[in-house]
Amino acid sequence: MPITILPPSVAQEPTRSLYQDGSQSDSDSDGGVDLDGDVSMGRPTKRARRDEAIVTPGEVITEDPQWMRGHGTYTIPEPPQIISSVAGTLSKTNKLLSVRPLRARYTPEIGDLVVGRIVEVQARRWRVDVGAALLAQLPLSAINLPGGIQRRRTETDELQIRTFFSEGELLVAEVQQLYNDGAAVLHTRSLKYGKLRNGVFMAVTGTGGGGGVVRARRQAFTLDISSSGAEGGEKIDVILGVNGYIWISKHIEGEGAAAESSGPGITRIEESVGLNVYSSQNDSIPLDTMREIARTRGVITALVENGLRVDEEMVTKGYQEAVEMARGEGEGDDSLWLGGEKGKRLADALVGR
Amino acid sequence: MPLDTSTYNLALLRVDGRRWNDLRRLHGQIRTQAAADGSSYLEMGNTKVMCVVTGPSESARRGGAGGGAGGPAASSSSSTATTPNGAEIAVTIVTGGFSTVDRKKRSRTDKRVQELQAGVAKALAGALHAHLYPRSTIAVSLHVLSQDGSLLACLVNASTLALVDAGVPMTDYLVACTAGSTSGHGAGDEGADPLLDLNGQEEQELPFLTLGTLGATDRVALLVCESRVQVGRLEGMMAVAADGCGHIRAALDRIVRDKGAQMVREGAIAKGESIGMDLD
Repeated sequence: MPITILPPSVAQEPTRSLYQDGSQSDSDSDGGVDLDGDVSMGRPTKRARRDEAIVTPGEVITEDPQWMRGHGTYTIPEPPQIISSVAGTLSKTNKLLSVRPLRARYTPEIGDLVVGRIVEVQARRWRVDVGAALLAQLPLSAINLPGGIQRRRTETDELQIRTFFSEGELLVAEVQQLYNDGAAVLHTRSLKYGKLRNGVFMAVTGTGGGGGVVRARRQAFTLDISSSGAEGGEKIDVILGVNGYIWISKHIEGEGAAAESSGPGITRIEESVGLNVYSSQNDSIPLDTMREIARTRGVITALVENGLRVDEEMVTKGYQEAVEMARGEGEGDDSLWLGGEKGKRLADALVGR
Repeated sequence: MPLDTSTYNLALLRVDGRRWNDLRRLHGQIRTQAAADGSSYLEMGNTKVMCVVTGPSESARRGGAGGGAGGPAASSSSSTATTPNGAEIAVTIVTGGFSTVDRKKRSRTDKRVQELQAGVAKALAGALHAHLYPRSTIAVSLHVLSQDGSLLACLVNASTLALVDAGVPMTDYLVACTAGSTSGHGAGDEGADPLLDLNGQEEQELPFLTLGTLGATDRVALLVCESRVQVGRLEGMMAVAADGCGHIRAALDRIVRDKGAQMVREGAIAKGESIGMDLD
C-alpha cells in the first residue's frame, strides 16, 4: 500500500476538544512562543464567568474596592482584586464576599452540636476527634459530674478521669469556644449532651459538602418508628452532628442524649443527672428497634449517595418512604439495604423526581 | 526503536502523530473516593495517576520523646514540606509494579521516588494557603497506575485536583507540563523545535524539563531538568511548557466546574449568588 506523506500545513493549534477556554487568541505579549489559539496569560476574566455556577481557585471575583474579603478568598494589592482560593459557590453578606467550598473539612463554629470520639486523655482534659482540622478539647470542668453535683473539679476527679470518658468513646457536645487557630473547646453541660450508647455511629460529609448534614433548626430529634410495626420501643433518637458524624440510637425517656428541645436545661441538672450517665454498658435493645436503627442508617446513606442534604425533614420523610417501600415489596429483612438502585428510587421519591 | 528525528523533520509529526505543540489527551475526574477528604484521577495520555488527600488533620505528636516517635511507618516513606506556622504537607507516591512495560517494583524508599515526593511536596507548599491550618498535616497520597512520560507533571496535576476537591485554599491551580527539544545535545541545529508534553519514548531520547506554574501565569513554582540541554534552547522549552500549563489549567478548571455545576444542578449545594450583575 503506498503511503503518501503530505507536506504539513501551518502548525495546528493543540488539540482543543477538551478545553473551551473561550479566549480569542489575542496578544501574548511577552511569551517567546506564539501558539495558535493561545490561552491568554492573565487571570480569567470576569466576562467569561458570568454563566458559571461556581468559582474556582485563582479566579478574580471582583476588582471593586468596596467589597471585603471573607473565607475562601484572598486579595492582592496590585491591582486590588479579590480572588477565590477554593472551588465553591459565592456568598454575600452585606459587603463581605466569601466562597463556600464544594466540600471541605468541618470548621467549628460556636454553638454547633457535634458528635465526637475521644482520641486522647490528658491530665485535665480530653482530646476529641470532631472531623475538623485540629482536635477539639473537652476540659474536665466542662462536663457534668454524675448525680449533677456542682463543685470544683478536684485532684480526685483528675485521677479518675477515665471513669467519665476514655479513649474511643463517643459523645455529643456543643462547641463552646474557639481558639485563634480554629481549634474548638467543647462542653457537655446539659442533659442533651454526654456519652453515647445504645446505638450506631456513622460518618458522612459535614457542612460545606455536597450531600451532607446541614445546619438546621434542630440537629437532634426523635423518630417515631411505630409505623413500621416495631413492637419494642416506639422511638429512636437521631443526632445529626454538624460535623457530619451521626448517631442513631434507641430512645430512652428522660435520660442523657435525649433530644427533646424543651428538655430540662442547666437549671434542673441537680435532680435529673442520673448516676449512670457515664456508663459504657449498652441496655438490651429489642430486635425491632435494631432493625429500624439499621433502616434509618440506610436512609441516611442513600441520601448522601444521591447528593441530598441530611436534615430532620429529609430523614423523617425518607424513613417513612423506606417503610412504605419495604411494606410494598414485602422482602422482610432484605428491605433494610437501601443502596444502589433502591437508594436512587428512594431519593427520587423524596425530591419528587 | 529510536526516535527518528529525520522523520520528524520531514513530516513535523512525532512518534504518536502529534505536532510539536499538541498536548496528549487529558482526562480527569474528581471525587473518585467517597470516603476521602479529597480525591482525583488523572490521565495524561497513557500516564495515569490516582490521588487521595487526607486532612488537614492534627499532626501526629512531635517533639516529645525523641522526635521520631510519631508514626514511624508514615514518616519514613513520605516526604514532607513544612511551611512556617502552617500545615505540613506530606506526600507519598506508590508506583504500581504493573505501571511500566517491564514489570519492576520501585520501593517507597527508592531515591527516585523520594525525589518525586519532595518535588511535589515543595511545589504544593508554595501554592497552598497552609498558614490557615497551623499544627496540621495535609497528606497527599499518589498512586501511579501507568507510566508513559511526564510522570512528575501528572503527579502535580492530580494532586492539585484532589486538593481542590478537598477544599484546601490555594493561590491558584498548580499545574505542570513537560517540554523537550528535538535535537540532542551537541547537534548544532538552532532551528530545532521545542516539543510539548513528552511521552515515555520521547523522554528516553530527548532532553526535557518539567515546569510547574501557578495557574496560567508565568510564575514558576517547579522546574526540574535532569538531562543535558543547551542553554540556548532552555528559554524556548520553558516558554512552550508554560504555555502548555495554561492549557492544562483550563482543562483542570473545566473538570472542577463541570463537577460544581452538576452539584448545583442536583441541588447538593445551594446556588451561589449571582455576583456578576449587581457587583459592578
